[in-house]
Amino acid sequence: MKAGAAAQALEARLELRVGRGARAFALEAELSLERGVLVLFGPSGAGKSLTLRALAGLVRPERGFVRVGGESLFDAATGADAPPHRRGIGWVPQRDSLFPFCSAAENVAFGLPRARRRQRDPQVRALLEELGIAALADARPASLSGGERQRVALARALATGPRLLLLDEPFASIDRAGRGELWRLLRAALDRHRAPAVFVTHDADEALALADRVVRYERGRSVESGPPERILADAYPVSLDAEGWEPDGGALALRGARLVTPGAPPSPGRLHLALRRPPPRAGGSDDA
Amino acid sequence: MSGDPLFPIALSLRVAALAVALVGPPGIALAWLQARRRYPGRALVDALVLLPLVLPPTVVGYLLVVYFGRHGPIGRALDALFGARVVFTPAAAVVASAIVALPLLVKTAQPAIEAVPSELEEVGRSLGLGPTALFARVTLPAAWQGVIAALVLAFARAIGEFGATLMFAGNIPGRTNTMPLELYAAWQAGEEGRALLYAGVLSGVSLAVVLLAPRLAPRAQAFLERPRS
Repeated sequence: MKAGAAAQALEARLELRVGRGARAFALEAELSLERGVLVLFGPSGAGKSLTLRALAGLVRPERGFVRVGGESLFDAATGADAPPHRRGIGWVPQRDSLFPFCSAAENVAFGLPRARRRQRDPQVRALLEELGIAALADARPASLSGGERQRVALARALATGPRLLLLDEPFASIDRAGRGELWRLLRAALDRHRAPAVFVTHDADEALALADRVVRYERGRSVESGPPERILADAYPVSLDAEGWEPDGGALALRGARLVTPGAPPSPGRLHLALRRPPPRAGGSDDA
Repeated sequence: MSGDPLFPIALSLRVAALAVALVGPPGIALAWLQARRRYPGRALVDALVLLPLVLPPTVVGYLLVVYFGRHGPIGRALDALFGARVVFTPAAAVVASAIVALPLLVKTAQPAIEAVPSELEEVGRSLGLGPTALFARVTLPAAWQGVIAALVLAFARAIGEFGATLMFAGNIPGRTNTMPLELYAAWQAGEEGRALLYAGVLSGVSLAVVLLAPRLAPRAQAFLERPRS
């Protein structure tokens, strides 16, 4: 259960507007995350990325506050506003964020103190191993695939031991097959480093695969938040509740199973339900 | 009037190098400022940076004489502080060349800095880099091709400076007679051989620059995205 009286990983309330005239955009968001991964879910242009920028300190809200691990990084009421480079918040953008003039290992080591910014730093090596890119340590970003680049970007963000990680649709340009593997890697890495994260996506599968908690965005507002099953119910209308299960050959025998569907119930008779392989979810807590 | 024919070549190279060294840091800083900041008066700064490109060099030279002269505000201050006089010295040639090289430097470096993806700088900040470290470790390395091209073009403009140098530094043999000035003097004196020498050296430098610069600038963006084989 909860480890002691740990502070919330993230608490924030943000009110801000950007742009002028017809291009003005107003954001109003409330976020809280005890631990794990908070997914900001919603269509593009709903203000999710802007929320991340405000958390990182790249844009300044007019009202509200940002507290990470109990520490206040921004508070409009007191005027407190830590600059981005002092927030200890990791940042993984959507694409093209690797320093092109550095090798993969140098990218990972980029945020470390000068003395440790060597390729052979044990922690850098460990991170490269952990994310399955040790063989690419000396490669230049331009020669890496999209998925490899995002692994490097993730390792780089984790290397400095951030107290919060912000990921802005980091896998949006990766094909579906590759994304499942990246979800698993990300979940495992976050759990191992105990790094809480805020992850932006408009993809319900991705949200379900990664989230401990979901905030749904609509036109610049965070409209509801809660556990993924509830917030993503629109995307996953059919669900199966079972009291328990036993292995039955290659199948599962369910006890007290109940199929929840919207609309008309299936006609009586034999029922065959085909499910797509669930989004991989490694390391996540499985307590119901 | 002639003296050592190699002296103007060495002097010009030295003057142009010092001019680039003088105008380089503030010029790159200005390029960054114009590329990355929106502030009141930005358009005015843009215009002032471009001004030496449009003004006749003789006007630049005249203004420099007025400001750096014995009764000019800068000239008086330098005299009072260091007892230094600038007008009609090699230093004047450096300043004149630096001023006329500024627009080319800023306007070549600026797009290269603009082309650095903002993600790189944002990530740099998230990794704990303050403004200075960010510029030195992220922006400059990412824009280096364009910045080098800007410096090369500035050097070429500086080494060819004529009008402002003539007004401000004079054409003192063995002291401020840079190649362009010496070329004019040689032609006037009917010394075809010397004229040809300086014309040849200046043409060679220019040719090298126009061959080199397009390979560097302003393609920082393309460089970043170019796949490496």
